Amino acid sequence: MSNDIEGGDTNDRNGKKLARDWDLVKAKLSEYISGDAFSRWFKNAELVDSDEQEGVVSVQSDMHQIWIETNYMDELRAAFAEGAGVHCAPKIVVKGEEVQIEPEEESKQAARQARSTGSVRVVTPEAVGKKTAFARKLKRLGINPEFDFESFVVGDNSQFAHAACSAVAYQEGRSFNPLFIHGRAGLGKTHLMSAVAQQLLANDPKAKVVFLTAEHFANEFIEAVRKGNLDAFRKAYRYADAMLIDDIQFLAGKERTQDEFFHTFNALLNSQTQVILTCDCPAPEIQTLDPRLISRFESGLTVELQPPGFETRVAILRRKMEQWKVDLDNSVVVHIANQIKSNVRRLEGALTRVASYSFLSPEKMSIEKVDELLGDLVRDENTNSVTVEQIQKAVADYYGLNLSDMSSRRRPASIAFPRQIAMFLTRKITKLSLVDIGESFGKRDHGTVIHACKKVKSEMGTDSEVRGAVEKLNAALERKN
Amino acid sequence: MKFRIAKEAFLDGLQQVQHVVSSRTTLPILSNVLIEANEDGLRLTTTDLDVGVSGTAKAEVSKSGATTLPVKRLVNIIRELPSAEIEVSVDGKNVASIKSGPSFFKIIGLPDAEFPPLASFEDAKEYKIPQAIFRNGLKKTSYAISTDETRYVLNGIFTSFNEGKLTLVATDGRRLAMVDHELEFPSSHEVDFIVPTKAVQELQRLLGTEGDLILKLSDNQVCFEIGSSIIVSKLIEGNYPNYRQVIPGESKERLTLSREQLLETTRRVSLLSSEKSNSVKLTFGHNQVDVMANSPDIGEANETLDVKYEGKEFSIAFNPEFLMAPLKNLEEDEIHLDLIDEMSPGVLRTEDAFLYVLMPMRVTS
Repeated sequence: MSNDIEGGDTNDRNGKKLARDWDLVKAKLSEYISGDAFSRWFKNAELVDSDEQEGVVSVQSDMHQIWIETNYMDELRAAFAEGAGVHCAPKIVVKGEEVQIEPEEESKQAARQARSTGSVRVVTPEAVGKKTAFARKLKRLGINPEFDFESFVVGDNSQFAHAACSAVAYQEGRSFNPLFIHGRAGLGKTHLMSAVAQQLLANDPKAKVVFLTAEHFANEFIEAVRKGNLDAFRKAYRYADAMLIDDIQFLAGKERTQDEFFHTFNALLNSQTQVILTCDCPAPEIQTLDPRLISRFESGLTVELQPPGFETRVAILRRKMEQWKVDLDNSVVVHIANQIKSNVRRLEGALTRVASYSFLSPEKMSIEKVDELLGDLVRDENTNSVTVEQIQKAVADYYGLNLSDMSSRRRPASIAFPRQIAMFLTRKITKLSLVDIGESFGKRDHGTVIHACKKVKSEMGTDSEVRGAVEKLNAALERKN
Repeated sequence: MKFRIAKEAFLDGLQQVQHVVSSRTTLPILSNVLIEANEDGLRLTTTDLDVGVSGTAKAEVSKSGATTLPVKRLVNIIRELPSAEIEVSVDGKNVASIKSGPSFFKIIGLPDAEFPPLASFEDAKEYKIPQAIFRNGLKKTSYAISTDETRYVLNGIFTSFNEGKLTLVATDGRRLAMVDHELEFPSSHEVDFIVPTKAVQELQRLLGTEGDLILKLSDNQVCFEIGSSIIVSKLIEGNYPNYRQVIPGESKERLTLSREQLLETTRRVSLLSSEKSNSVKLTFGHNQVDVMANSPDIGEANETLDVKYEGKEFSIAFNPEFLMAPLKNLEEDEIHLDLIDEMSPGVLRTEDAFLYVLMPMRVTS
């Protein structure tokens, strides 16, 4: 736990401070807990690490850990505050646990278990002596080695997310737990998470980093249930040092998996293991996700990745050009950055096309040529641009209403229900939040939008006319896309 | 396959095995009971892949064979049948025809070959234990099993064959129940393992008070043979924590109480323990114990027990449920309560080798 970067002196001083703090905590603790219990559980305990967030207390055995965690955490917390003046969450670890869990035999066993549960990707790396060994490790974990912090271009859109991730990776703050990264496809969620995983492994080659997609988790859970080795499955995940799960929205609608995930998640958070999740939308907007999971997801730090601004897009293109060793006119780069706005992956795709064309053809790349090459990408680019107004207009036209009825306060059924359909379609087609949708329908609140969506959905279930209308409108709007 | 069977016999047999089957299974075959018929009668088997149970039922088999049928549905049907005599025949496609008096049922089953076989226990270590002892031991400990899945090693009963004793332990971190019994087994058979809760529940259903139980142990599975019934279960992997560290050393005060009386009193008084604190307070004075509970918004209850006590005066509070659990499951008339002070765990003992450690609750006053 102690920081290797610090010199020996500081370590020493640090050790003394810990010992002094622990004496103060113990003195206070012995007032709260009677003699027998105190000497039984705390006499040989030691404070091994402490900061504002947590005080790590090491105890002799797992029974000590269980008993203290169940019965004495309040007293311990109070003793830290009153005795040493440190307001932190106590964490109990078993002395030498690392040595017990980590040795070869155990890791082989874990590997065997992993194989039997269907390749749970838990890796206990040995020393990071050779680069190739490290690369192999990353490959086994399913981490793209190119996704590191260095290759991530930071812009206004991603600055906060980047800062949070690097804080976690360099273990500057444990309070960001869980770290929830959300943002649309192709904005770098997986990139950031992979970068954290790489850094964690570089910090401590022995760390058990679990890196997988939620879909993978679900599949493995089902497999474990089928084979009846849930124990091994649980062990594989609950003893991780860090758990990184990509695309958590895949858990939507999978109740049993959510349940299992909830317990795993709790176990990890309770043991203060770093958890990072990515999702393509904010947690509360994942449909059919257990509310208790949502609240857990929101209990840590939530960061959002937004589409990059113009300067960032140009910077990304330049970085890529450097990497691929291609040279393009500045005007061409600017043009590409201007055309492709929503998605970094697509931006790279566009650059690949233009770069490979310029490599193969002798003629000089012109703006017109770029437009020709990127035609379909640019068209796709505008797909998400169906606006609320367009939806409102389409619905109003369909029902023979005025566009103003969509945002008016009037509530006869002949207007209210089409308005609800429009809200439903807006929710479905655009990526606007509930609040934004409510706002564009005459400053209604998000509850109204939720109600509208529910109402339309249930009407669609029972009324074929409604179903027909909604489907027709939806198809027309999708075509416009 | 074809057989005639008495309704009661069939129902008893099925009910013995049906509890293992969970209502939400991942594989359809796990909702089914394997029925094997031969000249001795029927063997009925169910499993959820963690725990498997198998039992027998007497039947007049005219054509032997095997099939699997949905057990919950089968039980419901058999229970409702009008006549005491039932005739069952199963065709080659695993469709069962059930006839009883005027009623006729046809149920579609699955082939017996799909049914996962229970583990075999050749060359396994074997132990012979009187059923009454094991049943009693489970009864006295199983209520203390932890249900917290994050500490899965505690989700079962620690079973130890060591030093000529069978020891059973369960704990959830707030209390610990332990029972010892002397038992003969070869010293090469000294071992300990953790039996998961579900297997414990099945055992408690099937164990009787007479005869012996044969326990067979392989690497990661255990098998209990109780008469013609068998329970096979996976063991919980991992090491059970050293529970002896929990048991307090020397106690300062010892009281001997009537088990029944303490149970009744606690039950009555706890009616007024508040949901928030959920505790009853025991105050020890000269030759008496006051059992008290109060909830600020509702009221309070108080009852006095006469005991022989000449120690110092003090109070200790317990969770009433945790205090009553062992009292309900013991049979002895008298129990001993060993205490140190209001903050140290209390220990409840009987003349037998039973012990229950219970953490006190903080009293704010």
